[in-house]
Amino acid sequence: MYGLEAINANNGWSISVVGVSIVFSGLVMLSIVISQLYKVLALLEDPSRIKAFFKLKKVRKKQAGKGPEKQAMDRETLNENQKEIAKQFDLLAGTMQESFSLPRLLLLARISDLKDPYSNLDQLLKTKIIVPDGSGFFSWDKDRFGKTIS
Amino acid sequence: MSNIKDILKCSSVFGSLEKADIERLGMLFEIRQIKPGDILAEAKEAAGYFYLLNKGSILLALEDGRSIVLNERGDFMGMELVSAGGIYKTTLTVLAKGSVFAVSRMKFLEIIREDSHAAASINTSWRKYLESNASFVKYIEDKSLPENF
Repeated sequence: MYGLEAINANNGWSISVVGVSIVFSGLVMLSIVISQLYKVLALLEDPSRIKAFFKLKKVRKKQAGKGPEKQAMDRETLNENQKEIAKQFDLLAGTMQESFSLPRLLLLARISDLKDPYSNLDQLLKTKIIVPDGSGFFSWDKDRFGKTIS
Repeated sequence: MSNIKDILKCSSVFGSLEKADIERLGMLFEIRQIKPGDILAEAKEAAGYFYLLNKGSILLALEDGRSIVLNERGDFMGMELVSAGGIYKTTLTVLAKGSVFAVSRMKFLEIIREDSHAAASINTSWRKYLESNASFVKYIEDKSLPENF
């Protein structure tokens, strides 16, 4: 017995399908690992970010544990003009890395001729749209930005 | 509240000092009004003053792009956080209107180099303050050399 007949008789089709699936999923996993490798390398270059990550997690947990009244006190609001400027800051922050330098953002805001860049940046910090990551860099909280702007 | 003694008392760096030490330290500070965009210190320039925040918000930008924002009454901008070898390593930019109390760097360093309970207390509190506000700035143990700051 040879050829297709032999394949059929010995479950060859299902074995080959299983084999192909295993190889394919292995390759998918490998590509995912390689695509995220730059993050691991960034952490190795700057280990303080690992500490900062856990610190940020702790702060968020602490904030979540606050009562609704305390949370409301923390929440600053923006007027219509400030919302417009916040949108412009959002665009500028979008051109930077997820964890960015605040002085750099301020410089971009000044170069872009945004209105009152200093006080508006301060307002974004007070509203916690811009949050420190604990390692000297800052991140843009998209969720809070969306809620504040809407 | 704009009385220097009250601010020193509520400061996490100076709050644990004795009343007499607060009186003595308070004499060294002078008030300055600040507005958004003011530069209190520029990196690479001679470090003449350290600052204690009364009201407002200040961005401390290090040369490597890192920064912190201080906006609580009693926050202190001094020593290894802002200078090294008598030169500012940080640019202090005012984000929100308010006021600060400035203290001569040399006079302040004289106080913390004393062999006294006050100096030890400031150093201990300063280490904790640095750890909680700017853990990425290396704490300098040896306070004997003014060149360190």
